Amino acid sequence: MDLSLDAETLSFQAEVRAWLASHVRSLSSMDTAEGFEEHRAWERSLAAERLSVVSWPAVYGGREASLLQWLVFEEEYHASGAPGRVSQNGIFLLAPTLFAHGTDEQRARILPAMARADEVWAQAWSEPEAGSDLASLRSTATRCDGGWLLRGQKTWSSRAAFADRAFGLFRTGPGERHRGLTYLLFDLRSDGVTVRPIDQLDGEPGFAEIFLDDVFVPDHDVVGEVGDGWRVAMSTAGNERGLTLRSPGRFTAAASRLVELYRKNPDPALRDRVVDAWIGAQAYRLHTYGALASPLSGPAASVTKVFWSELDVALHETALDLLGEVAPGWRDGWLFSLSGPIYAGTNEIQRNVIAERLLGLPR
Amino acid sequence: MTPEQLALRDAVRSLLAKHSDVRAAIETPHGYDKDVWARLTDIGVLPIPERYGGSGATRAETTIALEELGRTLTPSPLLASTLAVEALLAAENEEACERLLPRIADGTVATLIWPWHGTEYDLDGPARYVLNGDTAEIVLATDGTDLYEVDPGAAREHTPTMDQTRRLATVTPSGATRLGPWDPGVRDIALAALCAEQVGTAARALELTVEHTKTRVQFGRPIGSFQALKHRMADMHVLVETARSAAGAFTDEISAAVAKVYCSEALFEVAAEMVQLHGGIAITWEHDAHLYLKRAHGSGQLFGSPVMHLQRLKAKI
Repeated sequence: MDLSLDAETLSFQAEVRAWLASHVRSLSSMDTAEGFEEHRAWERSLAAERLSVVSWPAVYGGREASLLQWLVFEEEYHASGAPGRVSQNGIFLLAPTLFAHGTDEQRARILPAMARADEVWAQAWSEPEAGSDLASLRSTATRCDGGWLLRGQKTWSSRAAFADRAFGLFRTGPGERHRGLTYLLFDLRSDGVTVRPIDQLDGEPGFAEIFLDDVFVPDHDVVGEVGDGWRVAMSTAGNERGLTLRSPGRFTAAASRLVELYRKNPDPALRDRVVDAWIGAQAYRLHTYGALASPLSGPAASVTKVFWSELDVALHETALDLLGEVAPGWRDGWLFSLSGPIYAGTNEIQRNVIAERLLGLPR
Repeated sequence: MTPEQLALRDAVRSLLAKHSDVRAAIETPHGYDKDVWARLTDIGVLPIPERYGGSGATRAETTIALEELGRTLTPSPLLASTLAVEALLAAENEEACERLLPRIADGTVATLIWPWHGTEYDLDGPARYVLNGDTAEIVLATDGTDLYEVDPGAAREHTPTMDQTRRLATVTPSGATRLGPWDPGVRDIALAALCAEQVGTAARALELTVEHTKTRVQFGRPIGSFQALKHRMADMHVLVETARSAAGAFTDEISAAVAKVYCSEALFEVAAEMVQLHGGIAITWEHDAHLYLKRAHGSGQLFGSPVMHLQRLKAKI
């Protein structure tokens, strides 16, 4: 595999690197009201340079960058220490769904506002009794004049404490479990919506519960066909598990920071683990570059999900062992890394997918 | 355990079940619940001989109490006071024992400053990560050769760490008065005491995880019925039981270091698995899983990380 970059990509890389070098600054946590708005402003400054959604069509605010260029962008982005992406649920989860299943009207209405962070999106999949078993969800959408009324409860909804809109699955019937579900978009400020922020283990509300009490959704906010929500959602679920949400740049940057940390705190007993973590990040990078030749299928995204989430935990645990009790700069990253094997489908579910759908083992 | 020890365990367990509120305790100015501490000293869990006003409890009884405190993560000065008592008894200073031990037995908090970082300590500079160092009334310190009684000074302050359930402080002592020789064996006693606590924490983390997976239903059945989860909890059980054996086998410097390495790593693994097997609820502030995880991290570092003790062991064996 030839990993050398062509002239156009090199020029793009230089532009991105230079822009980030002169613009990156540290922001307050995005899980505070003030930090959320700082992150929104940061997204707008990216969008002004058409850097918020480089792989999208130009008409929606992108640059039509190739997958290779997107990977390069991500490497530069994370290496620069740039802020986390408050728009990431929309950009990496909803947008691919709209590209695959949305209407032209929906794309024109929703995507440019998403690219500029005028609308920040939260996901609304899980419910208290429907986590790993998402198909057991109970929230309903019932027909009304001109649209739908949502009732029920969603939980673990990332960014919902401060976001503007949300996307999720609702039971419209007929049928049980995977059948009779519909993919709907709703406004978190609508009448009937109550958002209860949930403090995370770092003490900040990174996610929330959403209570829905006859929340109106107009017909134009149904994505795909009514009753076809499971297929619509799952056709892009691989995005959350696969490389788009967790680009290799994020881990190669963390591995570089870990190596720097080791240089400052050399502890021979931990040397092997530092090198193992660095190798893991490189292996993940090569694995995703391999996807340039043949894009990852849905089940193959389960392989990357298990790999990056467990790599992330190992990277941070090694850093913590180097630093001891006081772990500036790594503590919150470590706590967040622990949720990686849980969200986007737990790693137990991913291993079932690998076993049953890639290896063909009996259910 | 003897029938008396079982009774002691039950007494401490029931006291903590009734009165321990970890979240409230860590918000108090002292970082622990004074009422719970008074009740514990009434039960007599400190290893102080009767002739010095103690209950006559031995190290074995203290270990039982520490394991119970580890189960519930109850913040308590028991570990700090125990170390001060052990150092004092080992210094064989009759006057100091008669003067200080009855007060400690009555609940006056004592602590010990000792160079567990592995470096020399000259009694002058600030000492970090001192157990209950911000409020202890009796402060002992060692330079690695002798044991001293010191004035903790006014400038001591609480050091917030990841584990909010363990009160640590930075203390700059002065006015050292020599009490007697320092027994390096106190370090091994400290390690064994901490290991007992770690075993309690790990055992409870596993129990809570098993309870959760028996009641959480997905795909129409309790998630604990899935083999992928069963095997992970079976592995946790193996870790808890082998850690218990390692902690209980303490007799000397080497076995204490082995126990510290083994119990620290076992607890960390069990607590990390507790988070994973609880799923999303474990990522919330409201659920206690993160308290177990943070305790696992903090107690792994306390008295020297596994890596530090491995280096020490390498030189010894």
